Amino acid sequence: MPFERSWIGYLVAASGVAVTTAVLKLFSPHINSTTVALALLLLVLMVAIRYGARPAVATSLLGVLSFNYFFLPPFGTLTIAAPDNWVALIAFLITAITVGQLSARAERRAEEADAGRREIERLYEELQSAFERASHAEALKQSEKLKSALLDAVTHDIRTPLTSIKASVSTLLEELQGTSVSESPVTLDIDARKEMLEVIDEECDRLNRFVEGLIELARIEAGELHLRRRWGVVDEILATVLKRAEPLTRNHQILVEIADEIPAVQVDPRAVAEVVFTLIDNAAKYSAPGTKILVSAQPIDDEMIQIAVEDQGQTIPYNIRERVFDKFFRATRDGDAGDSIQPKGTGMGLPVAKGIVEAHGGRIWIEDKKEGAGTRVVFNLPIGDVETPPERSPDVVSGRAMFQEIN
Amino acid sequence: MGLSQPQRILIVDDESQIARVLRTGLKTHGYEVRVASDGVSALETFSDWHPDLVVTDLAMPNMDGLDLCRRLRAISQLPIIVLSVRGEEKTKVEALDAGADDYVTKPFGMEELLARVRAQLRRAAAPPLAEASSAVLEVGDFRIDADARKVFVREMEVHLTPKEYELLLHFVRHAGKVLTHRTLLSAVWGGNYTEQGEYLRVFVGQLRKKIEPNPSTPRYILTEPWIGYRFNPDS
Repeated sequence: MPFERSWIGYLVAASGVAVTTAVLKLFSPHINSTTVALALLLLVLMVAIRYGARPAVATSLLGVLSFNYFFLPPFGTLTIAAPDNWVALIAFLITAITVGQLSARAERRAEEADAGRREIERLYEELQSAFERASHAEALKQSEKLKSALLDAVTHDIRTPLTSIKASVSTLLEELQGTSVSESPVTLDIDARKEMLEVIDEECDRLNRFVEGLIELARIEAGELHLRRRWGVVDEILATVLKRAEPLTRNHQILVEIADEIPAVQVDPRAVAEVVFTLIDNAAKYSAPGTKILVSAQPIDDEMIQIAVEDQGQTIPYNIRERVFDKFFRATRDGDAGDSIQPKGTGMGLPVAKGIVEAHGGRIWIEDKKEGAGTRVVFNLPIGDVETPPERSPDVVSGRAMFQEIN
Repeated sequence: MGLSQPQRILIVDDESQIARVLRTGLKTHGYEVRVASDGVSALETFSDWHPDLVVTDLAMPNMDGLDLCRRLRAISQLPIIVLSVRGEEKTKVEALDAGADDYVTKPFGMEELLARVRAQLRRAAAPPLAEASSAVLEVGDFRIDADARKVFVREMEVHLTPKEYELLLHFVRHAGKVLTHRTLLSAVWGGNYTEQGEYLRVFVGQLRKKIEPNPSTPRYILTEPWIGYRFNPDS
């Protein structure tokens, strides 16, 4: 490139001098030699700035020749008669060399600066890739941790109901077959038999809930949660949830506060109902009978509404307020919630709720109650766009069954 | 069994459904049963009610099963059966080291638990062998003359090296109880040898050759995989 550029420099020098000479020659009767000299000097200056010292020197030599030949008496010769013209020649040369060098230096500086900048960029990129590698390793470690958490959860949440079932079934079988190895033959009374069968029934449901939760979580994580959005009224959604939650909340006082000015929302009503149900279910599980559970809904601005469920149970410590939304995390087992209530959930309710809320473009979090101890879980949902076209046809939505009665 | 007074079993499990089934199952078999949902309340029930046996889960809030074993062992010799799930091997071994007598892995059949319960209650009811230092120990097919250091299996005298004798003596004195590698090593070789599992394997192998009718399918010294051994004196 430098070679090419200086070559262009010489070309510009030659043609520049030729053009300037030609133009000036046209007006030569009317202009004096000083003007010509200054015009040529200007050309030298420009070539020096643009192409460096050497093409500029060439320009100045050509300029002097042209000046001498065409504009200085005796015209048409290369003889220099007056000492003034020597001065002009020297001025040309000095200008050419000085400016050329100055511009070359400036260019070097610019190049140096450029190289510096490139070096910094390179370092930055290296650093960034190092960070990426590090965070990748961290992510791998996290995913390993997650896998073992999953394994633990599966171990506990599947084996526990299986244990109850197996123990019940083996008791019933033993009686039925009369092959007891114990000293005395066993006879279960009707109540004992009923109890065993009840346990089997309940534990099968529990296993099924666990599996459903797993599937639902997997669906959300794979981004396959298809929402069936339609315009719905918050009052109706909450009414449906409260009715469904009745068996769980029979021992609590349920208060509902819905702001009058709350707009209709474009959501998947069953999915949102599922979220509220999970929150109420949690509230009922983790607060004492007789205490209040408050369910409230209100608009935040023109685009969002907010739904909150708060109880009078324990206050969730700040350090685990985000982790409770991680799958299989159970505050009462995994956190240091101080007191020790046995974990009643599957560790999947809140993660699924979070998945649903986020699929709607909303957010869910835990915040302090205005007063008193307890937990307040809040989520907001975008109201939705009137112009949004209706979602895909309902039969594509196979996730429907997933939202069915989780209790 | 069940002649004079029903034997009392305390179940400790935070899983209410499991506790429910165990209570019904054990009651049906003539035991008196109480349930505690954690270690702390188990200790309270223990001191008020004096159970004959404790069946405890390992993972529990408040005080876990391992802690409960330690606390109970500090105040009582009653049999303790630990319930564990696979994956809790380490805790299970710790619990056995801490004084638990046996374990059942979840999920289990009720017959299995009942069999373990019976075995432990029987063992606990037997006269304490450890104290009978001068007497002749007789358990199942085994007769040990402690004074003469003579061992008879099915009325046949077997000649044991001093270490083999000590090992067998420990087995006989804790018949039916699951003994961890660590417990046996510490009892026979002393506390410095608790990590030397190969010693134990070698001596158990030699002992089996001398006392088992068929050493490749042992019926007296039973292997509890990854945990230790259990001595069954009746063939």
